[in-house]
Order: sequence, then C-alpha cells, then structure tokens
Amino acid sequence: MVLSQYEKGSLFWLLVPFFGLWVLFWLVPLILGIDLSLQSPTFTAPHREIIDSTGTKPPPFSLSWDLPENSEVVQGDNIKYIGLQNFSNVLEDAKFYKALRNTLIYVLGSILLLIPLSFILSVCLFQLSGFFRGLLVFCLMIPGLALPGVLSTLFYLFFHGRTGALNQYLVVPLGFEPVNWMMDPSFIMPSLIIQAVWRWTGMVTLFFLCGLQAIPNWQWEVAKIEGAGKWLLVRKILIPNLWHLALFAMVFLVVDGFASFSGAYNLLGGSGGILDSGLLLVTYVYQVAFPGGSGRFDFPGAAAMSLLVVPVTALLLFIILQGRRRWVLR
Amino acid sequence: MRKLISFCILTGSVIICLYPFLWMFLSSFKTNREIYQPTLLFPENFEIDSYQSLFSEQYLPFYSFFSNSLFISGLQALFATLITAAAAFVFAKYSFRGKSFLFGVAILVILIPKQAMAVPLFDWMLWLGLQGTSWSLIFPGIASGLGIVFFTQVFRKIPNELLELAKVEGFSIPRTFFLILPLVAPSLITYGLLHFILSWQEHLLPLLLLDDENTTLPIALSKLRDSSHRIPESVGMAAATISLFPVVILFAVCFRKMKTALVHLSLS
Repeated sequence: MVLSQYEKGSLFWLLVPFFGLWVLFWLVPLILGIDLSLQSPTFTAPHREIIDSTGTKPPPFSLSWDLPENSEVVQGDNIKYIGLQNFSNVLEDAKFYKALRNTLIYVLGSILLLIPLSFILSVCLFQLSGFFRGLLVFCLMIPGLALPGVLSTLFYLFFHGRTGALNQYLVVPLGFEPVNWMMDPSFIMPSLIIQAVWRWTGMVTLFFLCGLQAIPNWQWEVAKIEGAGKWLLVRKILIPNLWHLALFAMVFLVVDGFASFSGAYNLLGGSGGILDSGLLLVTYVYQVAFPGGSGRFDFPGAAAMSLLVVPVTALLLFIILQGRRRWVLR
Repeated sequence: MRKLISFCILTGSVIICLYPFLWMFLSSFKTNREIYQPTLLFPENFEIDSYQSLFSEQYLPFYSFFSNSLFISGLQALFATLITAAAAFVFAKYSFRGKSFLFGVAILVILIPKQAMAVPLFDWMLWLGLQGTSWSLIFPGIASGLGIVFFTQVFRKIPNELLELAKVEGFSIPRTFFLILPLVAPSLITYGLLHFILSWQEHLLPLLLLDDENTTLPIALSKLRDSSHRIPESVGMAAATISLFPVVILFAVCFRKMKTALVHLSLS
C-alpha cells in the first residue's frame, strides 16, 4: 500500500520492539562471539576468573554455574587478539569433526525417518472420521510435548538395557542378540535418532494432516474422472500439495537438530558417551567452554566452534530449499 | 478394508507412543527394584511417597521450579507472539525502503540459534546484570525468525480492503494492527503454543544463565536423575509426570484452534 510520510513513521512503532530485541539479544551476542573467537584462550581465561571478596578462588564451577555472593568479575586489560588461531585450532580438532559428523547423521537420519513415517501416518489418519482423527493425532503428539529430558530418562529406564522394552519386544523376538544400546558405540547414535523420531513424528503428522485437509476437492474429483491409479494420486496430488509443509518441517528439524542438547545431556550426563559416539555439537561446545566435561574453560574456542557451525547449517538449509525448486517446479 | 488397515497402523503407533508414558505414570508409584524391570507395568502396591516427597520439597524446591518454568515460558511466548506478529504485519502488508533487507536480517535469526551463542550471551548477560534472573532467559527468545516467517504468511491472507477501510476511518497503523489481531486469533494461539513448548523444553540456556533458585523444570529433572543413587527413581518419574500436565492441558484446550490455523495456512 502507498503510505504517506506520517504513516511511514508509525510503521516504525510496530517494528521497533522486534528489532530492538533483535539487536540487543541477537546481534550484540553475535558480535561479542566473533570478538571472543579472535582472543587468546590463555590470556582470556584469567581475565574471566571470578574472585570472591575473601580473595580465595572459588571451587570449580558446579553444573549450574552460580556466582558466589559478593563476587565480582575481574575486568582485566589482558585481552590478547590472536587472529584466526582459534578457528584453525578447531579445524584441526578431530573431536570437532566427530561431533559434526554425529550431528549430521543425527539430523539427516531423523529427517529421513520422520518425513516418510509421518506421511504414511497422516494418509492413514485422513481416511478416518473427524473425532478419531483428532484424538489419534493428539495422542501421537504427546511425546513432542514432553520434555526431552523426560524422553531420554524414559529411554534409559524403559527402552534400553538387556531387559529393556526395545530388546524384549523387538530385537529378541526377531531373533537377534540383545543390543546394549547405550554401551555399544555403534548403537548410541541410532538410539538418539529413535528418540528424535519418537518426539517429533506427531507434530509433523499434524502438519501433513492439515495440509491434506486443505487440498481442494476438485483435485480429487479430477483424479477420479481420469481414473488415476494410486501411485499417480500420490505423485500428482499428495506430494505437490504437502511439499511446502514438508519443507517447513525439514527446516525446523535441521535447526532443532543442530541445537539439540537436552536429550543427549540427560542420557550421557554431558559426556559424549563411549568413544564419543554420542557427542553432539552443542554438547561439545558446552564441554569446551564449561568445566562439565574436560574443564578446558576455553571460551574463545567455544565461540569459534559455534561460528563454524553456521556455514554448515546454512549449506544444509540451502540444499533443502534448492531441492524444492528441482522437485516442485518440475 | 483400507480403513481397517490404517486404523491398525494408527493404533499400533499410538500404543508405541503412549505406552512409555503410561509406564512412567505407573512407575511413579513403584519401588526402585520394580522400576529396573522395564517389562513390569503395574506396581505391586501403589505408594504415593514419591509425590509426597516431591511436594514437601524434600529434595529440591519443586514448586518454585515449576512456577519459574511457567513464568518464563508463558511470558516469553506472550511477548514473542505479539512482537513478531507486529513486525510480520508490517512486512506482509506495507512496503517501504529497506524492507527486504530488514526481512532478510530477521530471517537470519533462524540460521544462528540462540543455543549456538550461549557463551557470548552469558558474558553479555553478566555485563547487563541480568545473569541469573528469569529475564535473562525471557529476552533472548522473543525475537524469533520462525515467528516472522509464520506470521508473514498469516497476514498475507488478510484482504487489503480491510486495511483501506481502516485508513478511511482514520485509524493509525498500530491501531489497525490491534483491530486485526482478533481475526488471526487461531494463528496467534498456535504460534504462542509452539513457542511456549520450545521454551518449556529449553535446557542449555537455563543451565548456563539461571541461578540455582531460579532454575527451570528441565534442569530440576536432570538433577533428580544425576543423583539417582540418592533419590528414588520414582520421584523423578513423578516430577516427569507432573511436568507433562500444563503442556498437555494447554494443547488439549487449544487443539481445535490450532488445526484451524494450520489448515488455513496451507490453503495457498
């Protein structure tokens, strides 16, 4: 719409709250993070040392990271900039690659399992009548509402273990040896992925179901008149209509997967599990920065690592969005 | 026949989804020995000790954690909904110089989530003097990129004639925005709920930013498990059961509205 000068001024008042908060709590931390990633860890660490009023050093930080009473953060001048040293350190760190690979497997694995599964479930739901449809999709969504910590606790107590449900109800009846889910390095990632699928399937199913309900009736009519087969129905009606919802779900899963922390933290107690095979990126950043894990206390290194993840996420999202062009506009 | 097959598939998956939660609920009455037998569903006798020790705050101040969680998530969802809706309204309906730049910049938030910036955020909160308070958790979540994307789509569907009518009536743009809000109430509720859930589930930031007495439920739950040798598992199970209630109730109340909003959104 065409606006007068006065009206343009009033647009400002609607935008200001958002961008004010954006600058304060996104841009500033980002700039601080970039600045931090250029500093030397050894010079930066004492500057961040927290000294309480009696002059004694506090004990190593507890997990909850609380500052003692009467303490102040010593603001030293001893910040030393070392250029891109931190970044090259991270790039030489084998553990970083391990964490990156794990996270990629986690994200891609959960997407590849989740999207088809929710697609099938939503098509099934679509054939039921209104009341059951709502009830069942609501039940499916309950794991998504629970805290990830609860899911991993349940996983730990209920599913995993030699006598756990997964082994008792699935692995052993199929004639395999019981799997030691959390102790066998090759099964830690699958169990994290199972949790992600368990958690998000309901939500994505709901999305798809709403997309199915929104398909205009004439498309079905035309298909009926033309006598289209099942496969053609799926390809020409379902996939094109649901694609943008699937896309939204994928973007959401990628972002959530790269930021996921809670499940693995609860399951593995902040460590990476056996041979670090359950080490996710955020967990590793947490380990490097805070003494929960290695005690390295390397704030600059952690900041550099966080920044290095950004191009990876961006690339993944870019590929997904490119995929849309190839698929939908064909 | 087809209905029967799909009904079977669905019932199966619902059972897989919900059985562990039933087990969790029943486990809150069990003894440790019983909990370590995952295939056992019902406890031998129902002991409510776990709920008693939880509510008498024997191990940790559960009430205050619970209310903190509610306070933080509720306030954050409320602010995020209103503020992103306002910005998205402008993006969807008006054009001005620098709009696409501002839009792109707002979308960037999706790319770098706040969890990735936990370390500098911690420093910055320390400097602002907010570190440890609930506000240090409420503020960073409000400017949400997903919200902008969502609400831009929503407001695009509002006919322009309405805005012109408001202009003829002499309403200012902010006033017009508030008048239009009731029209998109289902979408507001949907987004508010999703935001509420995401901040309800947030773990890393409260772990770093909050003081012990201001912590939220996820931390409390992982604490109950951390020292699991001291605290009976059933207490953790009881806390987990209770933590599920507010979200499920909210969802059950708003579920219909949410479906309306999502169906409407995908009609494009």
